[in-house]
Amino acid sequence: MSQILPVIHILSKVMMLFAFAFVLPLGVSFALDDGAQLAYDEAILITFFSGLVLWLLSRRGKRELQTRDGFLLVVLIWTVLPVYSAIPLLVYLPEMRFTDAYFEAVSGLTATGATVMSGLDSLPPSINIWRTQMHWIGGMGVIVLVVAVLPMLGVGGRQLFKAETPTPMKDSKLTPRMAETAKGLWQVYGLITLICMGALWAGGMNWIDAVVHGFSVMGLGGLSSHDASMGYFDSVLLEFIVMAFALIAAISFSTHFMAFRMRNLLAYRYDSEIRWTFGVLGASILGLTFFLLYKGFYLDFPEALRHAAFNTISVATTLGFATTDYNVWPYFAPMWMLFLSSFIAGSGSTGGGIKMLRAVLLYKQVYRELAKLVHPSATIHTKLGTQPVPAKIIYAVLAFLFIYVASIIIMSFILSASGLDVFTSFTAIVAMVNNTGPGLGQVGPASTYAVLNDFQTWVCSFAMLLGRLEFFTLLVVLTPVFWRK
Amino acid sequence: MHRLAPVLHVLGLVILIFSFTMLAPLLTALIAHDAAQYAFDESFAVTLITGFALWLVGRRWRRELKVRDGFLLVLLVWTGLPAFATLPFLIYAPEMGFTDAYFETISGLTTTGATVMSGLDTLPPSLNLWRHLLNWLGGMGIIVLAVAILPLLGIGGRQLLKAELPGPIKDSKLTPRIADTAKLLWAMYAVLTVLCMLALKLAGMSWFDAVCHAFAALSLGGFSTHDASVGYFNSPLIEAVLIVFMLLAALNFVTHFLAFRQRSLTAYRRDPEVAGVLGLVIASCLGISLYIWQAGTYPEFLTALRHVSFNLVSIATDCGFASTDFNTWPMFAPMWMLLLSCITASSGSTGGGLKMIRAVLMFRQGVRELEHQLHPAARLPVKIGSHAVPNQIIFAIQAFVMMYIATIVAMTLVLLASGLDFVSAFSAVIACINNAGPGLNEVGPATNYAGLNDFQTWALAFTMLLGRLELFTVFVLFTRAFWRI
Repeated sequence: MSQILPVIHILSKVMMLFAFAFVLPLGVSFALDDGAQLAYDEAILITFFSGLVLWLLSRRGKRELQTRDGFLLVVLIWTVLPVYSAIPLLVYLPEMRFTDAYFEAVSGLTATGATVMSGLDSLPPSINIWRTQMHWIGGMGVIVLVVAVLPMLGVGGRQLFKAETPTPMKDSKLTPRMAETAKGLWQVYGLITLICMGALWAGGMNWIDAVVHGFSVMGLGGLSSHDASMGYFDSVLLEFIVMAFALIAAISFSTHFMAFRMRNLLAYRYDSEIRWTFGVLGASILGLTFFLLYKGFYLDFPEALRHAAFNTISVATTLGFATTDYNVWPYFAPMWMLFLSSFIAGSGSTGGGIKMLRAVLLYKQVYRELAKLVHPSATIHTKLGTQPVPAKIIYAVLAFLFIYVASIIIMSFILSASGLDVFTSFTAIVAMVNNTGPGLGQVGPASTYAVLNDFQTWVCSFAMLLGRLEFFTLLVVLTPVFWRK
Repeated sequence: MHRLAPVLHVLGLVILIFSFTMLAPLLTALIAHDAAQYAFDESFAVTLITGFALWLVGRRWRRELKVRDGFLLVLLVWTGLPAFATLPFLIYAPEMGFTDAYFETISGLTTTGATVMSGLDTLPPSLNLWRHLLNWLGGMGIIVLAVAILPLLGIGGRQLLKAELPGPIKDSKLTPRIADTAKLLWAMYAVLTVLCMLALKLAGMSWFDAVCHAFAALSLGGFSTHDASVGYFNSPLIEAVLIVFMLLAALNFVTHFLAFRQRSLTAYRRDPEVAGVLGLVIASCLGISLYIWQAGTYPEFLTALRHVSFNLVSIATDCGFASTDFNTWPMFAPMWMLLLSCITASSGSTGGGLKMIRAVLMFRQGVRELEHQLHPAARLPVKIGSHAVPNQIIFAIQAFVMMYIATIVAMTLVLLASGLDFVSAFSAVIACINNAGPGLNEVGPATNYAGLNDFQTWALAFTMLLGRLELFTVFVLFTRAFWRI
């Protein structure tokens, strides 16, 4: 008990802080008088007071956190906050069950964007704002997680990225470093979000939709206030704005921060991921456009390009908006998009998947193994930029990829054993683990995850968390070794 | 030309020897008076003369082969022999076309067992014997490849297995070592094949069927003389005999050899793979039987157990016989069987896929990384038996497994783009890369690969070759380093 008390103490503080997140939808609800005020009142009270009680109970166990506590804290935050986030949904929609509400909240906070709800257009605006505000808060959490916390915990070769974080990292204490890194990144994140909302508003959305979609895009979440997602607006200009900001959000926020602080674009040149991300995306969009034209799905080039570009960028960056039901495209196209979603996002971005940096390392490592076959006794280093990457990190990255693939296979099997067809199971799990959102088949962009039964919904919730916490964080806490003294 | 000539010289010799294997079906044709006799006359002559010519031409550049030549030789042997092996098919049935004939023979020599031919029951016996002989010869090739050649080339961590070889291996010259090892193992292989023939005959097959099926079982090829495969016999006894011999063939032939020489079973106890293979197969048989019995596919548990045992062992060991259309079972069952086909076969067996030892090592490496998260400074060796596995080898295995997964993903996308549906494309690629045989849906056990178009046929023929040569042997030829002098 003395082991987890300090962790609970921090958790309680996070909960009390999180209670204030309900203030925005509460304010909107008051201003518009949309009938959902009560939901946020209760959510604030419950969240704040359960935080306070925990804080009081755990006060005596306060101490400096260690690495091991870090794992537990991260896992607890990402599993407990969705419970409180689900309160407004449960209060306003009493017929919604906890399983579904928790799924929706996890999908929100992990910035996945999978939904079990339909009839979004007739929901109170404040509920829609809350759904996507979860994305945005989740995005804040993810940025700190991937830029400051995971590298410190050494998850999946993340040590490598330490060098790229903006603040001095030599310090060994957890709290001050995290706080400082977080502040800088959040400022950039907040600023870009405001610009994005402004652009969407200027592009023709009303201000509620602009706020909702601004949150969703920057968190690379994908929930929308319309059942038809972006297809509702049917506006090339808006699609263009969303694409631009989705790409910005898929770039490492530490790079944005550097560029912002140095007031020039050099930082983007030094980022080793950007050229890969843009290169692969550009080639894929062109390829898919021609593929769709060749298959006769669209008759003229601009229309094919428009749909291919938007949906590819949306799925690949793990955003998950859709302008059209790409589930009816020839299978190759959506499968390719899902495939991209597993590695396109930058390592310090709000996107999911294995991240571009790991994919590049994997590619270089495989090439190294081939070269070693020809020259068995040569010493060949895997390099990133000009720096050789230490063997330990390559190990960790390869083990990470293995766990990633193994998780996808195992969970697809679990879903298919529970009665879902193979195609739906597989694409749903890929979409969950990458925090993308819509899968294919029964859970495609034109449908929702409401078709799943309770068991399948829980498996999907778990998959989203697993992907968001980069596997190791969650799996470590589930091993017996972790709990041994 | 200097580089290529010594390799061609050896290739010529191999083709020369290969031509003599056509004498067996020729003899069968003479005895059975079937219509395919002239096909084998001509094929024999063409192959013999081509081989002799190559040998003669290359003789002037004869020299000791180096590691680099090894890659080229292996690839040329495995692509060249199938081309000559198509001759009897092309002469007897010219309407078949080279694409299909090549698919059939490469499927035979890689011991995959995927077929494009139907009406097998009415085919001249000599042609059926030729198909099965290809399986059996392929098996011989694989044993040498797996036990002697690939470790020498250092493919995918195969160096690890060097230590287990019976012959003296400190010698650095290619030829004598391979010859020694090969002779011992081939003797073992032949003895088991004869035993299998006798057992099948006693179980009720005709002599001809017994010979053919023994060839296909020991090589884990999976061709049959009947369209209904082993389902034709509808005999639990025959199925039991085949299960036993398929499992034997899926174990390391070096272990068989050691057990035979020491006249005791301790060799099997010491083999780190045996427990994994048997444990996984038995647990899966019971689990899947229960699953499909519960799902109501078979009213009686024992019937379910019989069909699951045979088909699961057949697919898991990469043999590919079928006794019933398992494509109609609930999808989870055949998908699980395909998953097993990736990992079940042992490293020195005639089976395909990743091999059990790599799967075990990957799993242990994953666990080690998890422990590393908690104890970053600890040194935790990955062990096989009591030996710590060098990091170099773990690297190579990780790169191999990643390459394997990437190849499956890439080939599946290629087939999807060519218009196949997801389950057919994915299962066909898995079945071909593991050299198992039947896939699902359009290429399921009740049908065959004849429905594919030419492009898809070539793609899958290439996939079989990639799987059989353990990827790197082929991929290394595409690197610039290989061709630089």
